[in-house]
Amino acid sequence: MTVGELKQKADLSYDISVAKKNALERSESRQIIAHNEHLFKADAQTICLVKTLSEHKETFFVLDTNNNPCEIKEPAEFLNKLIERNQETLNAYSQIHETFKRR
Amino acid sequence: MSTGVLLYCSNTPTYDYHRITERCVELIKKNLKLEITIVTDAETFKKFKPLGMINYKLIEPELGNKRNGEQWNQLERAYAYDHSPYDTTILMDCDYFCYTDNLLTYTNIDNDFLIHDKIHDLTGKDVYNFRKDSIIPMLWATVIVFKKTHRAKRIFDMVKYIKQHYQYFCDLYRISFRNFRNDYAFSIAINQVNGNTQQIFLPGKIPTLPALAKILEVKDTGIVFEYDDKINEIENQDVHLISKEIFNV
Repeated sequence: MTVGELKQKADLSYDISVAKKNALERSESRQIIAHNEHLFKADAQTICLVKTLSEHKETFFVLDTNNNPCEIKEPAEFLNKLIERNQETLNAYSQIHETFKRR
Repeated sequence: MSTGVLLYCSNTPTYDYHRITERCVELIKKNLKLEITIVTDAETFKKFKPLGMINYKLIEPELGNKRNGEQWNQLERAYAYDHSPYDTTILMDCDYFCYTDNLLTYTNIDNDFLIHDKIHDLTGKDVYNFRKDSIIPMLWATVIVFKKTHRAKRIFDMVKYIKQHYQYFCDLYRISFRNFRNDYAFSIAINQVNGNTQQIFLPGKIPTLPALAKILEVKDTGIVFEYDDKINEIENQDVHLISKEIFNV
């Protein structure tokens, strides 16, 4: 491998890394949802927490992104909302990720 | 309960801010679908192309602020509480382009004053680390979501006071930037009003293209930019543009 080829490879890796960071940031921004006047992040942790709590109780409290308590009165509806937004963002991220592979 | 966007726009000898605002308005109409109020001066107002249903508020811009030796207005944001006709206002810089409806999420919550404390540099260079430039962390006044409450009014009143005595507050908080910066004025105001305790911030980061990135194209769905001889693109992501040369062409 020549120095020129090495630089080209390194540049490409760097570009992909920056593009990946930007795409992830975009997904994370999109994962913020409002529910009962509180903000939540539709990430794996929130989904697992809501799913687990909903299996044990009909209503329960969770902390929002600012650590304020929020009572969840309709767990099924909230869980659906979280999963829908989570998958929407990851689907968009996956499409961008495919373009990285082709580069 | 009314919700709307408040923009400040005033041309300078260096930049045609009305052109940036025109683009910003198109994106707000398309993605946020909210009412818009533009606070501007008479000279800038005459240059706007017809933008449809927009509320205009004409003011006499305060001059005297400079950045890198160039005229830099941005002195009227302290009056946003008084200028806004809405119950819930998204106050944003006209160089913040909404390619998504993400900001709508923040209008449906019970917090009365939200501001970003984090930034995401889209070039990956992380050029915005100002932590050593003051003794309090700098907040980003690019986007502020506020409601008409007593607490929000107190914050804006405090910003007005800080503006009057800015050099004193710069010394008090050991701020390196000596020209008036809304970012610091709001950071100090929130720090004072909250009694030096933590404020609730907008979750997420402001995606920003720093000045080192040259904008090549502003598309309907994103921005094409160049930095370090590399061309990159972002799509369907809100973005704060620092480089404005493209709008002067």
